[in-house]
Amino acid sequence: MFVLPPPRYPQQGYNSLPAGMPVPMIETNNILSNPSGPEYQFLVGEGLYVLKDDLHLATPPPHPSEAPVVNPNPLATTPQPATLGTRLTLLNLDVTPLPPAVYRTTSRANGAQGSIQEHPDESKSSTDVREIDSDASRLNSSDVPLFSSNTPAFGEGNTLLAPVAQKDANKRRKPKNNMSKSNSSFISRVINHDTLNKRLQERPRDGLFAFANINRAFQWLDLSSTLKAEYLTKILFTKAHCLCHDVNKVTKSSTHIDVVMGFSTGEIIWWEPITQRYTRLNKNGIVNSTPVSNIQWIPGSEHLFLAAHMDGTLVVYDKEKEDGIFTPEEEAASRTSGNSTHTSRVNYSAQLHIQKSVHSKNQKTNPVAAWKLSNHRINAFAFSPDSRHLAAVSEDGTLRILDYLKEELLDLHHSYYGGLTCVCWSPDGKYVVTGGQDDLISIWCPSEAEAEARGGAALVARCQGHHSWVTSVAFDPWRCDERSYRFGSVGEDRRLCLWDFSVGMLNRPRAASVRHHGSVSSRPGAGPLQRAETGGTSASGRLRSDSNHSTAVSATVAEEGDAGKGRMLSHPVEPRAATATLPPILSKTVDLDPLCWLGFTPDAILTSCKTGRIRTWTRPSELAQQQMEEKKDA
Amino acid sequence: MAGFFQKLKGAGSGASKTDSAASTKTKKDEPQPDLTPVEKLLHNAGPLREDGSDKFFGLENFGNTCYCNSIVQALYHSDHFRSNVVNYPPPGPWDESNGTERKKVKATVRPPVQAISNGNAAATSKPRQSFSGGAPLPPIAPPVRPEDKPDSPEYKKKQAMIKGPVLELDQEDAEPYGMEECTFTGLRDIFTALIDSQSRTGVLSPQRFLDIFKRNNEMFRNSMHQDAHEFYGIVLNDVIANVEAHGKRMQEVADSRTEDGPSQSADTALAEFDAGLATRPPGTGWVHDIFEGVLTSETRCLTCETASQRDETFLDLSIDLEEHSSVTACLQSFSAEEMLCERNKFHCDHCGGLQEAEKRMKVKKLPKVLALHLKRFKYTEDYSRLQKLFHRVVYPYHLRLFNTTDDAEDPDRMYELYAVVVHIGGNAYHGHYVAVIKTKDRGWLLFDDEMVEPVDKHFVRNFFGDQPGMACAYVLFYQETTFEKVREELDAEGMDQVKMASQAADLATTSELVNGSSPALLSRLNTQPLQPVDENEKLAALDQIKSAPTSIDVSGPVEPVPPPLSQCEAHPLVAAPPPAPAVMTDADRAATVPPKTKAEIAREKKEQKAREKAEEKARKEAEKEQARIAAKGRQEAQQKLRETLRLEREQLQKALQESKQMAADDDKRQQKRDSAAADTAASSDAGGTDEQHHHNGGFLNRAGRTSKTMTRKSFAFLHIGQQNNNSNHKDEGRNGDRSEASEDKGGSSANGGGGGGKKSKENGHGHHHPPLPPPPLLPSQQQQEEHHLNGTSNGSTTTNHNGNINSNSGGKHSHLMRPWLTPRSDTAPAGAGAVDHHQLRHDKDKDKPPPLKERFSFGLGRKKSSKFLSPS
Repeated sequence: MFVLPPPRYPQQGYNSLPAGMPVPMIETNNILSNPSGPEYQFLVGEGLYVLKDDLHLATPPPHPSEAPVVNPNPLATTPQPATLGTRLTLLNLDVTPLPPAVYRTTSRANGAQGSIQEHPDESKSSTDVREIDSDASRLNSSDVPLFSSNTPAFGEGNTLLAPVAQKDANKRRKPKNNMSKSNSSFISRVINHDTLNKRLQERPRDGLFAFANINRAFQWLDLSSTLKAEYLTKILFTKAHCLCHDVNKVTKSSTHIDVVMGFSTGEIIWWEPITQRYTRLNKNGIVNSTPVSNIQWIPGSEHLFLAAHMDGTLVVYDKEKEDGIFTPEEEAASRTSGNSTHTSRVNYSAQLHIQKSVHSKNQKTNPVAAWKLSNHRINAFAFSPDSRHLAAVSEDGTLRILDYLKEELLDLHHSYYGGLTCVCWSPDGKYVVTGGQDDLISIWCPSEAEAEARGGAALVARCQGHHSWVTSVAFDPWRCDERSYRFGSVGEDRRLCLWDFSVGMLNRPRAASVRHHGSVSSRPGAGPLQRAETGGTSASGRLRSDSNHSTAVSATVAEEGDAGKGRMLSHPVEPRAATATLPPILSKTVDLDPLCWLGFTPDAILTSCKTGRIRTWTRPSELAQQQMEEKKDA
Repeated sequence: MAGFFQKLKGAGSGASKTDSAASTKTKKDEPQPDLTPVEKLLHNAGPLREDGSDKFFGLENFGNTCYCNSIVQALYHSDHFRSNVVNYPPPGPWDESNGTERKKVKATVRPPVQAISNGNAAATSKPRQSFSGGAPLPPIAPPVRPEDKPDSPEYKKKQAMIKGPVLELDQEDAEPYGMEECTFTGLRDIFTALIDSQSRTGVLSPQRFLDIFKRNNEMFRNSMHQDAHEFYGIVLNDVIANVEAHGKRMQEVADSRTEDGPSQSADTALAEFDAGLATRPPGTGWVHDIFEGVLTSETRCLTCETASQRDETFLDLSIDLEEHSSVTACLQSFSAEEMLCERNKFHCDHCGGLQEAEKRMKVKKLPKVLALHLKRFKYTEDYSRLQKLFHRVVYPYHLRLFNTTDDAEDPDRMYELYAVVVHIGGNAYHGHYVAVIKTKDRGWLLFDDEMVEPVDKHFVRNFFGDQPGMACAYVLFYQETTFEKVREELDAEGMDQVKMASQAADLATTSELVNGSSPALLSRLNTQPLQPVDENEKLAALDQIKSAPTSIDVSGPVEPVPPPLSQCEAHPLVAAPPPAPAVMTDADRAATVPPKTKAEIAREKKEQKAREKAEEKARKEAEKEQARIAAKGRQEAQQKLRETLRLEREQLQKALQESKQMAADDDKRQQKRDSAAADTAASSDAGGTDEQHHHNGGFLNRAGRTSKTMTRKSFAFLHIGQQNNNSNHKDEGRNGDRSEASEDKGGSSANGGGGGGKKSKENGHGHHHPPLPPPPLLPSQQQQEEHHLNGTSNGSTTTNHNGNINSNSGGKHSHLMRPWLTPRSDTAPAGAGAVDHHQLRHDKDKDKPPPLKERFSFGLGRKKSSKFLSPS
């Protein structure tokens, strides 16, 4: 008798559909509504934000092959379709103009405007919104002392990775399979809008496209269209849920869009919507079988993208390479040292565990590179605006700053408690902002020099305002300048919070009451002095080798970090009494269900929730301003 | 009824061994592995721990007593609390007379009755069955017997009861602690029984604890659904009160005790205890140390701006819930400023009079264990009843408190979630409680009454409140920890996840054998969100099989078997020492290895098939091997038994001869003895039939043992009367008893092992039997006992019945027993009826101090108890 695997338990984490929402049994349409009233607007310093519309994406019915089984036992409920909630990838095919001057603060220099296309390798981030971020950030590039602007391309120096010269530079390579004619068991159905081609031709070139996932469906929307609610294309997958997606900014054009999607099965699809062709990568999880929690194109690269798998691995894939059998190369090497059973005991707090280097000679197949950060799920990552660094946050409450070009771990920070769920960089790359399960948003200063100037602590401030876990953070580049920053956050509490901070404003509270007590860390407030100290006790740096070391030591060893570098990678948690606390300038419940994504465009704030509601909050316009004043006068 | 027969069947076929019985049964009914997930989890655990952190027992439900079970589990798995409870009453001589018995009492708790034995299953399940039939409100009223459906919790619970061992704690046992029987002793008995258990898994029946608790708390004295949080509060307060009362008493007693000391000095053990007591002042503050925090309520009068502070202690925090919030936020709003105005004004001493004021509560002293009660039951005027709030309230695995006062010590203290008591149900009046608990190094486990199952860490997040099924976290237990510990643990835990991921892919590799006791190796059930069950995934798994080094040989898997077996040899009491089937260990090991290599599908499919075949073969072989070993063990045990019996007989004959000689010597004494024997005989006649109702087959063993013990004891008693060197004989008598107990264990576990004790027992015989004057009664009894013992090892029901009668006749001697012996005799499970009786009795006897009588009543049934409870 073959032994069966243990029974599978409910798959529903906090990510699944809320109980209130019944899973529909029939295919429905997206619903666009325009609710209005005082509860659909909010006032901040710059004016009144008003809900423009509410686009409710239709939750697809479950695939016929997985009809929901009703199990009355809540302790072993039926596996529910997993979803991370609706996230959006925004895309503007046109060069995004700079934010209109109305929204610019006076201190901003106007001369530095330029198009992104001039520096294709500098358009870093995944969404157009972030693209705009980086655009805005270049305004401040002179203020960015920490990172030089001449960023080398990822994998530079490895000739095997050099892009194959194409005969026709304008003709982009397309994925190999036709999606609508596919009989893949992975894709259930593809539905195109009746007048897809017409709509594509007639739309304004600078109109905003959006890609959104909901449940097992993936929709391509045109947010600038009057038929906003009608998707351009909808793909229904059989069982897998698309959890994350991204569009390549380098290759985008009206004839070619490179979309990558990461799935709950670990698989990845490279999709080209214009020609409706696709390629399936990491098929059957051959490279990594754990779900993909985040996926982004590597800044400046045409075919490389980075996927965060749930087992704590970051994997670089090439959209055009075949999958290969992947054996962690580095691991194999370490095994020869006789510590074979202890490869698993790698000290992840002290180094990046390179399973396959980008400089590996074996570049015929995917993956291009694979780095293991920890054994915990990576919830999110973000490339720095200068595309030299990578910030990644995990379920174990760590923020890691990586130099992904050199494949090095630079810093390791910890949440106050609980996992970290989201991360983003300030437009100038000076700050990293994280949100987590401690209901806090933490502002970090990743640059060593900057931190030293601030007295050694990388934590700038903790922002208290959410009533539940934070799910997404993003900077609003149209309201940032070199001194002050605006960012927004959304959380499970259905709240949108807006935050303003300027560095001078944030004074650390008097550290008088700081107690050197155990719980925060054995060494609170590690200043330069302490760093020197640990630099002295250098011998503890042997990381992978020492199998007999009791795990008890490991934490401390971890903090001692890479002795060779003479500085600690892991930073202790700052006690509350020693950290500045920032209140929000706005905290408002903006949806009915927990929110999961937030984005800024020149004229709006977009939020999306777990059940697929996409809400557009238009920025205060002069017109609205006037109306306000009129009201006041009246 | 079907279920009942199934149980009988299970018990019957389990003649050889409970384990194999269960396995054969499960094979018929459903394709479930022989080992329960918990056992798999524990199969390669090292030696038993002293602190009890490796005991994962279910708790029997007596009808809506899940509130108790879930809280008791949460309390037990708090290391702080557990160790303090079991160490609390520092050992001391409570009754002068049984200073010597201290050790023994411990022994009676240790095998809280049932050893393994086959009859066991039937015995324990029977009363339960009858009970649930008669229960007014079964927790989850099953219209179509859910317990017959494999994979249902009911089924698993039933299996757990069948599999055992079921530790019965329905006898009174306060004496050893020198305390009145109280909530604390009840709890301590449970903890001690679990810690002393030789098995890591099983079911414990907390009957006695509940009885005591209900005796003291009227409102729990029904079979209705109760509030677990309320129960928790009362239990803690009871424990505090009990411990403090005892502490006070001990201080008083301690003085007088020193005077009594000399008289006891003959007994060295006692002297030791005395010394221990003298040096150790009764520390009673530990409950406070663990659970108690201090809240400061600061009130600021808005008129005069005077702030006044008042401190109050708390054992838990009851926090109001907001929709879509987190525990952190709820705690914040708990400490949010509150306006005291209108009807709720504040009396300001400064201004003199009622004034508007601002009040806020902050935590001044953080407890070691922070219990958070989520106020999910809210009184609504509309329905004029408690309504359940299904707000989504998220709770993190770790927590720090924001709402501390400025002068709080260690305001950044790190807490980790270690237990979640979950309420399942639509309102406050119905439902079910379970506990999800993080164990020291075995990850998270789900405790659902009798059932214990390992669950994935993500499972803990299923009870935020908005999930279907109406299961919501109700009480959260956070315990103090440090940042370093958390980091360390997270590092280790990660391994688990990786492993789990590979396990999810059904990956089977045998390449690496990782350190067996490592927590990282736990096999978890996969509750990972984001990982839908997918056919593709399984294909992926196949892909990976190639990575399994071809060492899928048959011999490999068999190797892991010996350890468990040897273990069960070492502890003859182990009922179900997971005799790990080879395949499981294989899979387990495999599961620990992260996926590394992949290969083409075609090849793997072949390999997969081959592997399956090999595994099956290995499995069969292992089974055979196991059966062989088991059979051998049985044979050995039987042989030993026979030998013992032979020796016994010889001894007996010798004794009889001797006694004849002696009889001539001492006529007077003989007469006395005669009368005593007659006494016993009479009582046996009277009680025999009665008791039969209360004991059923499964208890034979135990009963048999008791009877033996008691006969022996009674003789010893007589003997003592006859001779003058009392203490000496007393000791020997005790030896005899104990050895018998161990012999019984040996016999019933079918593994032998009681050898060491045998000799001493025989000595006992030698000494005590000689004076037996009325030979007609005793030998026959002895004979019957032999018969009974044989019967047990054969496991046939009919013999058991014989044994039953026999045991009952033995039971008659109870009036001669010493108090510390009683627990062993009155282990009969209290059926549904019994519970009610107790209830009534309690009501009746409420005012009287709990007499010995009452204690007996729980075991022996009412009639009996009143009859036999002449003071010894």
